[in-house]
Amino acid sequence: MFYLRLVRGYRVVDLGRWLLTSVAAAVVAAFLLRALGRALSDPPGAHSAPERLLWCLPPLLAVAWFAAVAARALPAQRAERIAGLRAAGAGPVRLRLLIAGEIALACAAGAVVSLLLFLVLRNNIAGPGLAPELGMGDPLPPAAPVALVALLPLVGGVAAVCAVPGRDALPQTRPAVTAAPFGLPRILLAGLLTFGGTLTELYALRPAAAEDPRPLQLPADLGHTNALLLGGWAAATLGAALLTGPLLAGVGRLLALGRPGARRLLAGRGLAALAPRLGTPLAVLALTLAVVLTAVRHWVAPGASGTGPLPAAEALLVIGCASAAVVARLTELRAARRPVGAALLRLGAAPRLLAAATLLRWALAGLVLLATGGLTAVLGAALLT
Amino acid sequence: MSAAPPDNDVLWARGIVKSHHGTPALREVSIGVREGEVLAVTGARGSGKSTLLGCLSAQLPVDAGEVWFNSSPVHTLGRAGREKLRRERFGFVGSEPQLVPELTARENVALPLLLAGVGHRAAYGAADDWLERLDVAACAKRRPEELIRSQCQRIAVARALAPLPRVVFADDPTAPLHREARDQVLRILTSAARSHQLTLVLATHDPELARYADRTVALVDGRTPVPATAVRRPAAAPVAASH
Repeated sequence: MFYLRLVRGYRVVDLGRWLLTSVAAAVVAAFLLRALGRALSDPPGAHSAPERLLWCLPPLLAVAWFAAVAARALPAQRAERIAGLRAAGAGPVRLRLLIAGEIALACAAGAVVSLLLFLVLRNNIAGPGLAPELGMGDPLPPAAPVALVALLPLVGGVAAVCAVPGRDALPQTRPAVTAAPFGLPRILLAGLLTFGGTLTELYALRPAAAEDPRPLQLPADLGHTNALLLGGWAAATLGAALLTGPLLAGVGRLLALGRPGARRLLAGRGLAALAPRLGTPLAVLALTLAVVLTAVRHWVAPGASGTGPLPAAEALLVIGCASAAVVARLTELRAARRPVGAALLRLGAAPRLLAAATLLRWALAGLVLLATGGLTAVLGAALLT
Repeated sequence: MSAAPPDNDVLWARGIVKSHHGTPALREVSIGVREGEVLAVTGARGSGKSTLLGCLSAQLPVDAGEVWFNSSPVHTLGRAGREKLRRERFGFVGSEPQLVPELTARENVALPLLLAGVGHRAAYGAADDWLERLDVAACAKRRPEELIRSQCQRIAVARALAPLPRVVFADDPTAPLHREARDQVLRILTSAARSHQLTLVLATHDPELARYADRTVALVDGRTPVPATAVRRPAAAPVAASH
């Protein structure tokens, strides 16, 4: 009941978060239930069920990632509500549970909708095309769908609980905008991984290596490869992801080099300050975009064996969650930086200048996204040829 | 209504009314600030000091009444006009330093000058000068998060003074500081105002601190019960700004 009272004060951002979490959870639940249905209708002795369940893992991880970032964004977005709850006597643990409970509730709502749809469709409503996917005609063990559907609120809630840091839930301390900058070891490691991985992959792709055996089969009809190629690609991808944050900070510092005016100074230094918080969601987005687009390009290429609509739905969900996580982080940073904007306006800074600085900052972040995502995509495309 | 204000009033307001979402903050306040004086606005918390400073410094639009600066109306100015006024004529020190966290102290002080379109060299030259005068030159290359409260507040004072505004507004600038730091910041602020012929409007809840001012106006529940010209104190001996 208490939670419902809080919901009455919700605005577009909160409702959007609720809706997105529910829809994503509903889609993942549909994947899980479809795996269950196929397992029911498969003849005994078929061994594809674990593989089908494994395919549900990427979307589940995507939902968990979005839940974590959204939960982390909440205290900064709704500082006044957190302050009110604190004043009313809610401690950090209860606040954390409240935030996680909200995410879990949204996940549960989506999952239950999927479950109801699954149960309704099983009643001879779906056509023969869908019958094997739903396990129509086979008795349904009641524990199985409940366990699968309960997985979603559990995963979402646990991700949210882990993501909300205790100190952020306290209204006295403003959420930290400037996190610790990147240390040299991290930058070195990221650079080495990227460089080494790219070199390894290029070596594995040299013309003389065309006859090398490719014993490893990639999932989803993506062809065959060998350990050297795959390892090089994985190392370069990891390196590019780790490099996103330091790259953002470096680009920001570069922008403020020389004799910057107010706009360049604010944009550059601001980007460098936001890089630690913005780097991770951007890296995840770059990675998913690159992997998914490379796979899609491979699927639609002439001569490729067609895949069903499920990988496409999965790809869409993963990209959607990664993008939504970036948006959630951006709204969080925007809320956390509101005092800085107010101080600048008090100094007489024109809103147009501040908007231009912000635009410049996001344009540069987009460039970094293109660079790291582009590298991952190019290496991925080379892997698949 | 009172007669036309004396010519030496650089800033004056007549009958200003301001409320925040229905809560009345100022009820018909009239006040005049003379060129080059240090005026203290005293009053308890919630008496409308901050709102009065906000209205005078062209941050808040007034609901009714008039605000004039240098014989030109402020209350009729649009947003852009008020921004220009704040940028070029007014300086502001709040109770929180409100520095931009990702900029160094030197860049923070140079920022208003850069915003006003002053060249790079002149802006940083002025910033270095003022950091030196306020005894925080050693912190020039450091960020606010690495500095202690009183250093940040001194940097905020330097930021307000560096563009040499006509009027400096200080809204409880010593609220977060200890006694010694408090006296030091106020001494620096007032002596800088006197040596550069700046006008200083100082809001404080501490009547004791009004001794730094030439004149005091008391605000009670958004009104000025005593006529603003009543108390005239001798000017405090200017203290040479430490280097």
